[in-house]
Amino acid sequence: MKEIVVISGKGGTGKTSLSASLSYVAANEVVMADCDVDAADLHLILKPENQYSEDFYSGFKAEINPEYCQSCGACFSVCRFEAILRKDDRYEVKYLDCEGCGYCQHVCLAEAINLREQKVGLCHIADARFGCKLVHAELGIGADNSGKLVAKVKRDANRVAKENSKDYILVDGSPGIGCPVISSLSGAAYAVLVTEPSLSGLEDLKRVWELSARFRIACGCVINKADVNPEITAMIKDILVEKDIELLSEIPYDEDFPRAITKGLCLMELDQAKWEPYIKQIWEKIR
Amino acid sequence: MKIAFTASGTDWDAIIDPRFGRTDYILLYDEEKDELVSVDNRQIMQVAHGAGPQTAQKIFELMPQVLITGNGPGGNAEAILRQIHLQIYAGAGGMTLREAYNAYKNNQLPMGGKNA
Repeated sequence: MKEIVVISGKGGTGKTSLSASLSYVAANEVVMADCDVDAADLHLILKPENQYSEDFYSGFKAEINPEYCQSCGACFSVCRFEAILRKDDRYEVKYLDCEGCGYCQHVCLAEAINLREQKVGLCHIADARFGCKLVHAELGIGADNSGKLVAKVKRDANRVAKENSKDYILVDGSPGIGCPVISSLSGAAYAVLVTEPSLSGLEDLKRVWELSARFRIACGCVINKADVNPEITAMIKDILVEKDIELLSEIPYDEDFPRAITKGLCLMELDQAKWEPYIKQIWEKIR
Repeated sequence: MKIAFTASGTDWDAIIDPRFGRTDYILLYDEEKDELVSVDNRQIMQVAHGAGPQTAQKIFELMPQVLITGNGPGGNAEAILRQIHLQIYAGAGGMTLREAYNAYKNNQLPMGGKNA
């Protein structure tokens, strides 16, 4: 089983459009895992029918039990997030401001404070439109993605791939280089770095490559919108040579990307003749 | 020499977990005593953020001289491990513990971490 992660240091480079199209050409061989949970959008194209869903718990919130509370105010004075509200002589937790750090619980001599684990969303195993399985998650308002959630989605995807004898897991990772990205990279065999020729595209490519290289993961790069700034595209190519990153494809700017997303389609469905050479070429190189 | 492994099982046939922070088990082999002990790390599944530093803390307490793992620790975890002058070997993901130990003995594993 080979785990391939599609990531982009910078958002908006076309990462999910490419992931969706890859799942179209490789539908018989892959299980898709959407780990870009903060802004999940793969489901807009894959239109999954959830077969199995479970609650996902993560993070804690403090709760004050008014029966035990002695109104000493210790919690109020230590909270760094100003998440304890004083009403006359009573104290309450401001739910949205609480970070769940537990400092208040630690200082409460009356033991009136509990930390309750929060249900923040749902994890789904679904049948996707192209015939592949999709493992994805749905977070509630204010909940954020985490290494824990990504690890869970990937663990489920691994199980589903084994059960269905699929050779590949294609992970749609999240932008940036934080905890969720590290979690999506760890255990992966290959990382597809999707970038664009802008300064932030270039800098973010460098740092996401550094992260992948630190974890000893082989990388390939797709330069999307390559013709909008030939100068920076040339700089990106220099970096690819210097860092020994495989150039997987150079894709010119094309409004098919927003057009396809707007219609809820992948690029291949919009114009198969135009996009098949690009997508197939990428798939053959990374598989 | 005490050698720590990240692994998805508890014996010599266990597969090395390529993940550092979210490894299911840490196995510790004491070469002098010829003794293999396992430390259950599965509660890490419940940790939302900072899995690497927490696992590093556990390894810190075990005080091995060598760590054998797959992808290698991230930057924050490595900063902790540097304090015990640990030699980190990576690239063993997917091997059995026995294979990884032999590969280490034959100098076939690359150094892990940023300064590799």
